[in-house]
Amino acid sequence: MTNITRQAPFAIEHKGDHYCGRFCAMASPCELLIDTHDAVLASELITIAQAEVSRIEHKFSRYRRDNWMHRLNHGEGQPVDIDDETYRLLQFANTCFDLSDGMFDLTSGVLRRAWNFNGSDQLPTQQLVDKLLPLIGWQKVVFNPTELILPKGMELDFGGIGKEYAVDCVAKLCTQHAPKVSVVVNFGGDIQVTRPRNKNQFWHIGIESLKDEHLTAQIIKIKAGGLATSGDARRYLLKYGVRYSHILNPRTGYPVVSAPRSITVAASHCIQAGLLATLALLQGQEAENFLINQQVKHWCYR
Amino acid sequence: MRSKITKIAATLLLLQLAGCANLGVQPWERDLLAKDEMALDSEGNDLGLDDHIYFSKEGTSGGRAFAGGGCGCN
Amino acid sequence: MAVGRLQVAVVDAIKADQVRSKHMKKTTNIGAALATATCALLHPYASANDILEDWQVDTSLMYYGETDRVKAVEAVVAGKKDFGDEHIFSGKLVIDTLTGASATGAAAQATAQTVSRPSGKGSYTVTPGATPLDDTFKDTRVQVDGQWTQPWSDVSRITTGLHFSTEHDYFSVGFNGSYAHDFYNKNTTVAAGLAYSYDVIKPEGGLPVPFAIKTAATGSSENYDDDDGYDDDDDDGNFSSDERLGDSDNKSTVDVLFGLTQIINRRMLMQFNLGVSQISGYSTDPYKVLSIVNDQGLTQNLVYEKRPDSRTKTFAFWQTKYAMNFGAADFSYRFAADDWKVDSHTFDTRLRINLTDKTYLQPHFRYYSQSAAEFFQPFLIDGQALPEFATADYRLGEMTAYTLGLKYGMELDNGDELSFRVEYYQQSPKNAGFSEPGSLQDVDLYPSVKAVIAQVNYRF
Repeated sequence: MTNITRQAPFAIEHKGDHYCGRFCAMASPCELLIDTHDAVLASELITIAQAEVSRIEHKFSRYRRDNWMHRLNHGEGQPVDIDDETYRLLQFANTCFDLSDGMFDLTSGVLRRAWNFNGSDQLPTQQLVDKLLPLIGWQKVVFNPTELILPKGMELDFGGIGKEYAVDCVAKLCTQHAPKVSVVVNFGGDIQVTRPRNKNQFWHIGIESLKDEHLTAQIIKIKAGGLATSGDARRYLLKYGVRYSHILNPRTGYPVVSAPRSITVAASHCIQAGLLATLALLQGQEAENFLINQQVKHWCYR
Repeated sequence: MRSKITKIAATLLLLQLAGCANLGVQPWERDLLAKDEMALDSEGNDLGLDDHIYFSKEGTSGGRAFAGGGCGCN
Repeated sequence: MAVGRLQVAVVDAIKADQVRSKHMKKTTNIGAALATATCALLHPYASANDILEDWQVDTSLMYYGETDRVKAVEAVVAGKKDFGDEHIFSGKLVIDTLTGASATGAAAQATAQTVSRPSGKGSYTVTPGATPLDDTFKDTRVQVDGQWTQPWSDVSRITTGLHFSTEHDYFSVGFNGSYAHDFYNKNTTVAAGLAYSYDVIKPEGGLPVPFAIKTAATGSSENYDDDDGYDDDDDDGNFSSDERLGDSDNKSTVDVLFGLTQIINRRMLMQFNLGVSQISGYSTDPYKVLSIVNDQGLTQNLVYEKRPDSRTKTFAFWQTKYAMNFGAADFSYRFAADDWKVDSHTFDTRLRINLTDKTYLQPHFRYYSQSAAEFFQPFLIDGQALPEFATADYRLGEMTAYTLGLKYGMELDNGDELSFRVEYYQQSPKNAGFSEPGSLQDVDLYPSVKAVIAQVNYRF
């Protein structure tokens, strides 16, 4: 009996000097660029990638009813068993909570019950927001290497780092399976390049960006490392000329104001880049200064 | 005896090649085959050391690769 | 009013944000802390092995010990590097040392025997009933192999290799080449190869004359000297070497190999190999003897053996590997036949059981059986005409052997692999139909040989 779920087949194309594989996952178009002429190897890598994304999605998605997340988020506050991977992710989230002084908080997902960022002018009432605030607070989460305790009514939402984590995990598997082959893992703009290409060429990747209110593709030259984009290109609310970004401040329950429309950051790993972009957005007005201070390569659009 | 073996072996080989077109897997089905333990030479050192022992202590040698490479093992 | 309260809330939020961001600037290097956190998340067991980054090195140390007989220690260092684009170099260095005693081919006797050493320098006594063993085989051997593979086309590759081995009485050099072609999306691979090897044998004491009497061999129980003034039992140690043919001789081997590898389904693959070898040159073992016994079964003399100077070998080999959920199973069968009439069957199976992500256990069983060479004789009968070729080397006689082994492997925190292997190997030579005259019936002419193998591997 097979213990590997049948995936929808991926599309694979030979593009001159590399292979391009595409499939859909995590509500995003996922793409792998593989610097090889070996069709079999390219197929293997895409299969591995698809399986890994599926695994992470199944494990950490809050939309599923059959995973531990569901049990956790609908529990009574009893301890839930966790494995090593989950423990490491929780530790990472913990570090981010500390580094951001509490602005990066995996328990802030409950706010989506109040906020629906569909481009309309439907803002929630203060009462609705106030009711949710007590259910937020990473400091209330207790965990150790084998167990996690989440108070009743609270929820964990890995949505903020899930995609970037999947990108890094897939990149790691590709490196293990084909250490000499350069692979670009691109899940809807969250990117990791495993190593420079064989002839030391750069990969030319189109990034969706906002320039003068238009969604355009900017071409970025990248040799290795990660790239992540955070922004409200599609998710925002607009009322009385005030644009509310979808990045919510967990302390107030309200969106961060005066944040750039879009930030793209480059770092050695995708999840690192993603966190820096998110932390920058949480700075609102000070986003650019923050990124300059961190001395990371970035692109900001207001 | 030996020519009979050769004939059987040759027939098997030809049948095998002809039948090969129907066997096999798609590239995306290679997950299990790609495991380390499924590689034919996954334990190179062990197999080499064993071959040397059996070459020295028995009357036949070879099979996996070349039978050549001699030594005066007594 | 709802809007008013919202605006106030928003202003509050702005203020809160500003306080937050001032606070954050104090945390100077968030980037570095984040980088460390990312590392801990993605690479919990990072390897610090930068120098030998692209080389995969496999080292092994093995001990082989037969009860009361040969003991060997062998060390292997094998390295492999991909230079990009499937251009792969692999090299191997083997050093082994051999000590202990080997069966000489002489038959056991119900009484003690005195046998001289191959060098002609001195002799030793064999206890009654025991198989005569020669213990002067202390040797160290060095072997170096190199192999280069590169693509020939999109679906094929060529491999060339060199081999070199040297020890004090044997030298071997060879080269090989092969071509492999993939079909049906790499589901089928066909390979053909050729190898040539040239060996030089320079035995201690020179090449013995076939069937010549080994000097100072007596069949009597005590040191025997009659009155003819001739030191029959060499207790003075004055005998010079036996009459010799020369210092050294050589042997050439040509191997041809055909192979077919086929993926059967998602879990199974198979390999079929067919090979032919032609050996020409000196194939006799210069250290082995036969006992000439009389009709009482008493050894009269020891004479050197003789084997034909050519040998044509063929083999057919089939192997299958099956992926299970908990590991993999490996089974192979080899049939071999040659013009010396040594036919053999070999069954070999291994079962890899993955205990955890990082550890495994692998039991191993091997069964081997061979028929005696045409010219195999456990002893010669005094008075009968000498055959054209004869050997009493039990390794060319009829025998079965089995190996039972267990291997334990584990992946270390830094990604390297450590494994241990222990095996038990037992050979059971059998009587291929020779009747034993006189007192030879009272001794075991076909003793079992039992050996233990212990090995440790380290891969990085």
